[in-house]
Amino acid sequence: MKINAKDAASACLLILLALIGLWLNQDHTLGTARRMGPGYMPMLTFVVLLIIGIGVLGISLFSGPDPLEPWAFRELILILVSMIVFGLLLEQAGLFVSIAATVAVSALADRTHKPLGVAGCALALIVICWWVFIDQLDIRVPIWPQF
Amino acid sequence: MELLFSNLEHGFSVALSLNNLLFALLGALIGTAIGVLPGIGPVATISLLLPITFGQPATTAIIMLAGIYYGAQYGGSTTAILLNLPGEVSSVVTTLEGYKMARNGRAGAALAIAALGSFFAGSVATILVAASGPVLTDIALSFGPADYFSLMFLGLVISAVLAQGSVLKSVGMVVLGVALGLVGTDVQTGQQRFTFGVPELSDGIGFVAIAMGMFGICEIILNLERPEARSVLSSKVGSLWLTKTEWKRAIPSVLRGTAVGSVLGILPGGGAALSSFASYMMERKMSRYRHEFGTGAIEGVAGPESANNAASQTSFIPLLTLGIPANAVMALMVGALIIQGIQPGPRMVESQPDLFWGLIASMWIGNLMLLVINLPMIGMWVKLLQVPYRYLYPSILIFCLIGVYSLNNNVFDVYLTVVFGFIGYLCAKLKLEGAPLLIGFVLGPMMEEHLRRAMLLSRGDPTVFVERPISATMLALAALALAAMLLPNIRKGKDKALSE
Repeated sequence: MKINAKDAASACLLILLALIGLWLNQDHTLGTARRMGPGYMPMLTFVVLLIIGIGVLGISLFSGPDPLEPWAFRELILILVSMIVFGLLLEQAGLFVSIAATVAVSALADRTHKPLGVAGCALALIVICWWVFIDQLDIRVPIWPQF
Repeated sequence: MELLFSNLEHGFSVALSLNNLLFALLGALIGTAIGVLPGIGPVATISLLLPITFGQPATTAIIMLAGIYYGAQYGGSTTAILLNLPGEVSSVVTTLEGYKMARNGRAGAALAIAALGSFFAGSVATILVAASGPVLTDIALSFGPADYFSLMFLGLVISAVLAQGSVLKSVGMVVLGVALGLVGTDVQTGQQRFTFGVPELSDGIGFVAIAMGMFGICEIILNLERPEARSVLSSKVGSLWLTKTEWKRAIPSVLRGTAVGSVLGILPGGGAALSSFASYMMERKMSRYRHEFGTGAIEGVAGPESANNAASQTSFIPLLTLGIPANAVMALMVGALIIQGIQPGPRMVESQPDLFWGLIASMWIGNLMLLVINLPMIGMWVKLLQVPYRYLYPSILIFCLIGVYSLNNNVFDVYLTVVFGFIGYLCAKLKLEGAPLLIGFVLGPMMEEHLRRAMLLSRGDPTVFVERPISATMLALAALALAAMLLPNIRKGKDKALSE
């Protein structure tokens, strides 16, 4: 038996999500096939998902080997955190500060970045975003910090 | 026939308005740029630019987004030929012969036939869309809810079957997409489903957040993970014209590629990438010069490049006539239309003639623009590649974030994008495809509605799905497609075609 680790992990994910879905769906009325309630389609969907998950698990037992790949946690976390920083700052500190902060955090994800390059990049983006989004498209977002 | 011409005339009058011309050009330019740049695909770009188009009328928005999609097919071939670096998935096969031709000093000829072939294929496919649109629409109007359900079911099955990698996993992703589509207020009873009391989720999960997270953000992280060295070809592009023998060899391939691409583009899950692979396989079998394949045969550029452009046009047919997206880009178009307040479907030809005929006319105009943008200005696009990725990705990130925020002026959407960025990365690591999920997400709510209506009409009798001839045919085709994948030979053929 050559276990396909990627498929096995995918299967576990699908099965887990299906079970969570079915559990959450208990709150919704099923109704009948003729008059379907809000819970009918979710029930069908998650049952199918569960069956597929089990199927993938079965196939994964002998379709390998395909080992799991290592994760680039540094890049992943830095990019996601830089996005969260943007969300946290935007409405309080304004667009310009948020752009600068997001660029700074995300720049850490690429080791070839130099401080001057990051500063230039942030400045250029602030100018471009001001022109495109504020001047041209007129989206409603605070530009400067709000006190 | 006369009606077709008067309709097309109307379409051109719409497409030739200054604003629409401008946005078609903008779309073509952006499309070429992202086509040239590896690491940014049309799916990510279109989801990125979706919010920006909201201020525009629906027709203008769709014209621009469509321009990005087919523009990317042109741009993708440039880097494939000059740098052995496919800018898009659909131009992977172009590297095989195109780069060899460049090595032989025939880069100019390869670029020229790629652009001219694409233009020819695009023109033919546009006519096909115009001619088949009204016919298919008439058929679609006779569809009942059961037929629609089965048609969408068929679409989901085929999009999973044709996706890369394991069919069962892709089906799983489709179903997961349908499940994500369930989140929000139930249309018929008003009950909240899977919203966890979060008011922002009562309208459902934001389509843009899913698309941007799973494609845009995820692509950034994956690209950072495996930095690639880029080298610009030092040798000259050479004459941009073909020799007489090259013309003779390329023309049949262009014709075959156009035919293959037009057909495969209509299939759900088909689209540009699949058709360029199929065309390459076909050329390798049918060309009189097949012994030259691998050393720079012009057929290997002419065929696939025509095919991918033809497919990117004809993949609009199911969207415009049935309201069913054939691939992830078309799923984004559905998203764009719905946000604009237009329900895609067979009534669109009648109720939105400006959109339907204007888009068709603009496709042809866009192809003409792309020919001009690409051939004489090739040097400029190659220069674009010298922009290091470290400056590119913060820009993509910022555009994503502002775009997603401006949808509802709510930072909740930003956090949702973060979540889907993570999910996208997780899926990429497990070789789970994102495209089937997006299609499932778009089709899921429509399927639920049609299912409910069909069952209500049939008084709860599920045999309605096999009793109506149209519905039964669709289900039979779906079963056939699934069964075909169980045959080892066909599966191997598909894997081979998609993995090369």
